[in-house]
Amino acid sequence: MTGATPPLLSIRDLRIVFATAAGPARAVDGVTLAVYPGETVGIVGESGSGKSVMALSILRLIRPPGRIEPGSSVTFDGLDLVSCDVTSLRAIRGRRIGMVFQEPMTALNPVFTVGDQIAEVIRVHEPTTNAAAWARAVAMLRAVGVPAAADRARQYPHELSGGTRQRVMLAMALVLRPGLLIADEPTTALDVTVQAQILALLADLQQEMGMAVLLITHDLAIVATVASRVIVMYGGQAVEEAPVEELFAAAHHPYTEGLLRAIPRPDPESGRAGRLAVIPGTVPPATAWPSGCRFHDRCPFAWDRCRDEMPPLYALSATHASRCHLAAEPARRTAPRAGEMAHTEPRS
Amino acid sequence: MIGWSLDAGPWRAIWRRFRRNRGAMAGLVVIIAIAAVSIGAPLVAPYSPNAILDMVALKSQAPSLAHPFGTDPASRDVLSRVLFGGRVSLAIAVLAMLTAATVGTMYGAISGYVGGVLDDVLMRVTDACLSIPRILLLLTICALWGRPSLGALVLVLGLTSWFGVSRLVRAEIMALRTREWVVAARALGASDAHVLFRHLLPNIASPVIVATALGIGNVVLLEAGLSYLGVGVQPPFASWGNIMQDGADEVRALWWLSVFPGLAIVSAVIAINAVGDGLREAADPRQ
Repeated sequence: MTGATPPLLSIRDLRIVFATAAGPARAVDGVTLAVYPGETVGIVGESGSGKSVMALSILRLIRPPGRIEPGSSVTFDGLDLVSCDVTSLRAIRGRRIGMVFQEPMTALNPVFTVGDQIAEVIRVHEPTTNAAAWARAVAMLRAVGVPAAADRARQYPHELSGGTRQRVMLAMALVLRPGLLIADEPTTALDVTVQAQILALLADLQQEMGMAVLLITHDLAIVATVASRVIVMYGGQAVEEAPVEELFAAAHHPYTEGLLRAIPRPDPESGRAGRLAVIPGTVPPATAWPSGCRFHDRCPFAWDRCRDEMPPLYALSATHASRCHLAAEPARRTAPRAGEMAHTEPRS
Repeated sequence: MIGWSLDAGPWRAIWRRFRRNRGAMAGLVVIIAIAAVSIGAPLVAPYSPNAILDMVALKSQAPSLAHPFGTDPASRDVLSRVLFGGRVSLAIAVLAMLTAATVGTMYGAISGYVGGVLDDVLMRVTDACLSIPRILLLLTICALWGRPSLGALVLVLGLTSWFGVSRLVRAEIMALRTREWVVAARALGASDAHVLFRHLLPNIASPVIVATALGIGNVVLLEAGLSYLGVGVQPPFASWGNIMQDGADEVRALWWLSVFPGLAIVSAVIAINAVGDGLREAADPRQ
């Protein structure tokens, strides 16, 4: 993947700070990642890990009191999105980079028909007639699998089901055939069966249009289905990055291990349904990240070094990296496995 | 504009609920009737509003079959004057409120959308304007103006009636601007102006329309008050307020000069308010 092709999207040392009453909240704190043309990258993390804020900041959609710190860089196809002027940025938004949001209920304007809202994306970016834009909107609605698209286009969001609304969102994001789609929890608000349909549709459209997808989710199962590469976020940082098969087969970071074990299913080692493993504690607030490794007070293997020294992103191979001191001191990994840690391991 | 029309979607539902409200429908019928005879005054009025019929025989006559609303001290037919006065009074009220709604919407929308320091400054300005009693402000302006033309009256009334609208619009815009569909619109390339005018303003159309409708009744009263005091509509134009002024010296003797324009004012204002309240209830079924 990292061969001769330059990345389509390259994020370097992205830092986003929100001014809050409790002090600056470092929601995203030094994330570096790249998305290559045509690939699907999954960003996984709990609520509060900074993944949604990061998605918004790519298109500079963070509003005060949040801001992108100087030194951050987001480059899309050679253009620096952090520093470019607003006109260039708007030309990217919707045309070169599409975006889909979590809540199809609230991400559509309630007073316009869905056809209008798809056509509007075309009208904002291209000189066109209303009739031509409308025809393309209906065609796109058909392409995202909405039956009777011409009739649906004349309906208002509240008249449509959640799944159809999410298809409308996809149609809006994809009608100008962007090179990159940012999908922030695109299926979280949907029923499981509808979820599967939307993911299958996303994969089909991606294949057909050859676009890259940055998929943000808290659900590892979704990542396993569609992503080729995964970045796990914790505490505003990328803590592990790996090809999807490798991550599931040989996760390195204890947080990733915890996430994998928190998927409800029969324990793969014992072969029987065990107790549901949980990661003790919660994500700390972004105003007060712990010293050293941000995961250390929830980690079963943590030792002094983890509290004192922030681990760098250790390269385990050309494609696998982990922000954990265990990469430097693998012998420390002797403590109980993550499955039992919630019940037996004393907190550091 | 993005295609939205009065027969589509939310508007159809509002009309359906409005129709079920008997008081509002009665108000609508009354105001349409008053507007129709006022607009059609040249056709339905028996005389010209300024025709001096007979300074001796027809001076200050009580209502009769020939002159149902009586005549005034200049022997003019009061019914004709009330009909023509309705044109002036209603036109001033509607135009002034349209001015107020436009200014108030722009002002409030910018204040609410931009926020921050600009919002603080703009809202303190409206607070200051709202703290001045309106009739006092109007009296001062009109008195200083001398004999204001109808256009000047529309401007003066309009430019002193938008503060409430601007606060309403600002609050609505502030509540809406952080909605996910606003972020979604920006994410797909819409500019700030586009988001504000094409996405946000259509969403607040119904509260603005309700506030405007209710405001019209208020402006009818204000204009009548100013004209009664002699600083509003000036001769040769008749308005409901200045017809009453013609009989102000002898209110008890010339009661018809107060009663008939007074009834016109009261019924128009009640009807307008009934329609406005009906619209508000129809637009917000939770109330």
